Amino acid sequence: MAELTIGERKVLGKLVEYDKLVSASELASELQERNERVISILNSIAEKGLIRLDTREHMTHRLTDEGRSYVKDGLPEERLFHAVMDLGGLAKMEAAVAHAGLEQQAKGISVNWARRNGWLEIEKVNGTTILKVKVENAESSVKNVLALLNKGNANVPTKLAGGLETAVERTLVEEKTAKMFEAIIVENRRGEIESLLSQTAEGITDLTPELIASDEWRNCTFRPYNVELAPAFVNYGKKHPYNEFIDWLKEVLVGMGFNEWYGPYVETEFWNNDVLFVPQDHVAREVQDQFRIAEPYDHGDIPDEEYYRRVKAVHENGGDTGSTGWEAPFSREVTTRLCLRSHTTPVSIRYLWEHPESPQKMFIIDRNFRSESLSATHAQEFNQFDGIIMDKGLTLRDLMGYLKEVCHRMGIKKVKFKPGQFPFTEPSIEGFAKHDTLGWIEVAPGGIFRPEVTRPLGITDPVLAWGIGAGRLYMASMDIKDIRDLYSRDLTWLRRAYFVR
Amino acid sequence: MASQGILREVVVKMLVECVINELLKLVRKKLTIQQLEDALFLMKAEIDKSDDEIIVIEINPDRTDMLSTEGIARALRTFLNVDSGMAEYPVKKSGLEVIVKPGLKKIREFIACGIVKGVQTSDDLIKEYMHLQEALTTTHGRNRKKASIGLYVFDEIEFPVIYRPAKPESIRFAPLGTEIEMDGPTIVNEHEKGVLYGPIISKHKKWPLLIDSKGNTLSLPPIINSNTLGQVDMTTRNLFIEVTGTHKKTVDQALNIMVTSLAERGGNLESVTVRYPDGTSIITPNLTPKKMLLKVENAARLTGLSLSDIETVNYLRKMGYDARIKGKGNLEVKIPAYRTDVLHPVDLIEDVAIGYGFDRIEPSIPQTATSGKLLPVTRLKNKIRDLLVGTGYQEIKSYVMTSPEIMKTKMLRNKPLTATGNPKSRDYSVLRNSLLPVLLDFASQNQHADYPQRIFEVGDVVMPDAREKTRTKQVPHVCRLVIDTHVNITEMLTEVGFILRNLGLGSKIKFAAEKTPEFIDGRAGKILINGEPMGIFGEISPEVLRNFGIGMPVVAFEMELPRNGMWVM
Repeated sequence: MAELTIGERKVLGKLVEYDKLVSASELASELQERNERVISILNSIAEKGLIRLDTREHMTHRLTDEGRSYVKDGLPEERLFHAVMDLGGLAKMEAAVAHAGLEQQAKGISVNWARRNGWLEIEKVNGTTILKVKVENAESSVKNVLALLNKGNANVPTKLAGGLETAVERTLVEEKTAKMFEAIIVENRRGEIESLLSQTAEGITDLTPELIASDEWRNCTFRPYNVELAPAFVNYGKKHPYNEFIDWLKEVLVGMGFNEWYGPYVETEFWNNDVLFVPQDHVAREVQDQFRIAEPYDHGDIPDEEYYRRVKAVHENGGDTGSTGWEAPFSREVTTRLCLRSHTTPVSIRYLWEHPESPQKMFIIDRNFRSESLSATHAQEFNQFDGIIMDKGLTLRDLMGYLKEVCHRMGIKKVKFKPGQFPFTEPSIEGFAKHDTLGWIEVAPGGIFRPEVTRPLGITDPVLAWGIGAGRLYMASMDIKDIRDLYSRDLTWLRRAYFVR
Repeated sequence: MASQGILREVVVKMLVECVINELLKLVRKKLTIQQLEDALFLMKAEIDKSDDEIIVIEINPDRTDMLSTEGIARALRTFLNVDSGMAEYPVKKSGLEVIVKPGLKKIREFIACGIVKGVQTSDDLIKEYMHLQEALTTTHGRNRKKASIGLYVFDEIEFPVIYRPAKPESIRFAPLGTEIEMDGPTIVNEHEKGVLYGPIISKHKKWPLLIDSKGNTLSLPPIINSNTLGQVDMTTRNLFIEVTGTHKKTVDQALNIMVTSLAERGGNLESVTVRYPDGTSIITPNLTPKKMLLKVENAARLTGLSLSDIETVNYLRKMGYDARIKGKGNLEVKIPAYRTDVLHPVDLIEDVAIGYGFDRIEPSIPQTATSGKLLPVTRLKNKIRDLLVGTGYQEIKSYVMTSPEIMKTKMLRNKPLTATGNPKSRDYSVLRNSLLPVLLDFASQNQHADYPQRIFEVGDVVMPDAREKTRTKQVPHVCRLVIDTHVNITEMLTEVGFILRNLGLGSKIKFAAEKTPEFIDGRAGKILINGEPMGIFGEISPEVLRNFGIGMPVVAFEMELPRNGMWVM
């Protein structure tokens, strides 16, 4: 039996002292050591069969800021319900909201949940929204869950599981998996352990400048270290794995001759939709899909009246493009409305607006926003990776070639294409990549910008374009299942996570 | 544009459920599921799921003509060479009339109607027709706003049918599915469909109403049919179909898709004359195809395929168009009246490529010579990230959207924030205007992780700015903090000095004492670059720590970076 290292000696000694199942964190605080180091040492002693190391996973729940504020002030839907009750069971929405003292931002949330819970009924009477009480008492399991967690109760009883799920979905409660390590010495090795602990260390530990200078080291024996020990985890500085992935994508694109470009998160709908020939009444532009900016300003400016005039004409009647357009009036109010950009393609158009001469190659990898509740599969923010190529004589075959090349350089060997559909490209394609475990996944949608998009910019050469979801590629390559892990708030996970090309 | 998400947003894909046997009967060809899947894949559609009997097909919303089993079968027939060219549907004149009364112009101006006789019906088929009606009104009709469709028992209607504005209180009929009569306001306020679609018309003083000559109500468009004339079941053989709406082209197209789908089920089409109050009369449905000219050269140039005139004609016929050569290199293409997606010759060119077969197109790479580079600001951000990693910091990445509590209340700050009007949750309702609160929030969530915690983030923040065209200014920032049992402001300043010197700012920087509520008095300062305040640093005040629920001391700095990646010297 090999001897023990100093660390192992300390930990094992402590375990003998405890002589019962004890948690790693307790050992760590007792020994004034880092948790990580103690776990690493425990692992190494467990490998020798001297101790039994158990790991347990358990879910922990804690209130978010929003959750905490609702414990204090009550759930907005509850406040709304009581306000309507106060007002005699029937009230105009604005009056009830004011009576409840709800901020404008909480209005939608409160109405939505009061209706989903079946507490209130909503009616439109002559254009006014009326709220009507439907139940006598507003019973909310969400509220009970919040109260319980606020009291410091870690365990939520199963009868409140539904409430907990809703609270997590509404981001009132945060759910985390925690790992716990517990160790105990193995009874039938006790004798061996005690003899190991009783051995005194022989030899010297450190080589010092004095020993070297005096040549005294020739008379010393060096106490051996266990060099076969698994190294402990340490927390040196490093980059975020998702950013490393994005850095890599950028390197690939620059290597292919693409110029990086920038565009703002807050856009007018002119850039986000209209220049891309998305009809003004398109469902994707409604509040359930796209974030609108309400404060402090809700409308912006047209960048260039001449460009505006051409975009308007293209929508209304096709302008000089040979298209029929959407044959509907174009609204200046809608086009100047501010929104959070819902894709990166507006940046491609901003680039072309400033660089209308061929040849051009541009890319951007950046964030976009969509009105979604945060869950394992949906996030209100996502990274998109857009590229365009403008040159004389470019074709659909060239677009396929570029997409295939980008995929190849990212390690995707097999790519196949099918026709696709996007409002701003024609022809449009969708590239599918063969993933080892996921099968064929849609990774590379693209197309050639429609004349309705390029002609108002004064461009006649073909512009090939694509917009790839960078997050999905990253998740597939990192085997991440939960989209929230892209922006993980868990430092311990981040310290362990890495991206390798 | 993009996969995941992005396009799911711009493109809402529609699912059509088909009975496989029914579909293949209409296609008139025996196919395995795999063959069917391969063909659909190449036609822009996709199989969502399938079992032995049912197949669910995902349709792109531009192909509104494929939102039914009948429509999918029609497209497959030409694509698989069972048929070629445009499907023809003869329309007989019925001579029957629909009279539009004055006063609807601002409410719901347009109506188009048709009759289908001898159509096959069964419980399953009725469900399918209803599904098509629903799918069309949702996508093409924009949730009934632009167009809505009604189906009625033709034999029970006394013509002419009258389309007129009516006072809500004067409207009275039993809505489909009930025996109880209701007045207009009751339907809009209490009926399930009324609550859903009432807002489309309820702002008007008068509402659109369809009645027959005996005064029986057909429907209150776009909300609901009556229970008497509007109840189509498996005994119905002859149908009357109407589409009302605010956009003429959309209304006509919806009718064309509906009636041609029914004609696929053996129905014979008959037209109706719609008389408008201004004296015009229009015969609907009008299935006359639109004509468009296509230069073969343009198709070849955009697709990169070598195409002869004859080949191009054949590919178009495969995609359900009629086309003929009109002089060398020029084609006249007839577009079926049920196709809604052809606005420009490029739309035909895409179909030529689909007809050619996406599986046969060879990718190529042109020699477009450009030299690529990163933005200067990206290089600057990367350099700072490298320096921070070198000083031992873990990079984190946070959402740009956050809550006013984190940005303002907890931070004891009151700087203006850009806020969305339609947040899904308050936690993600404003854009961050600083990184420090985001990092403090991160630290508050990691109090059980090992100490010391040294974290940083480089990212953009957004400030309202009335002078900008988008009313916001987006500025790159860097922020870095240490949380530990003991923190040391001198050590932090040493690190800041290291970073700034390595950015070439050694001779330009100065630190000056600063007093702000988020930092402890006497332990805070600002970073001046060429005399301009560009950043702040200090030890976070216990008040702020308490607000964040943080139990250990924190030192931090945050600095603005130049948008163009270069400091003005």
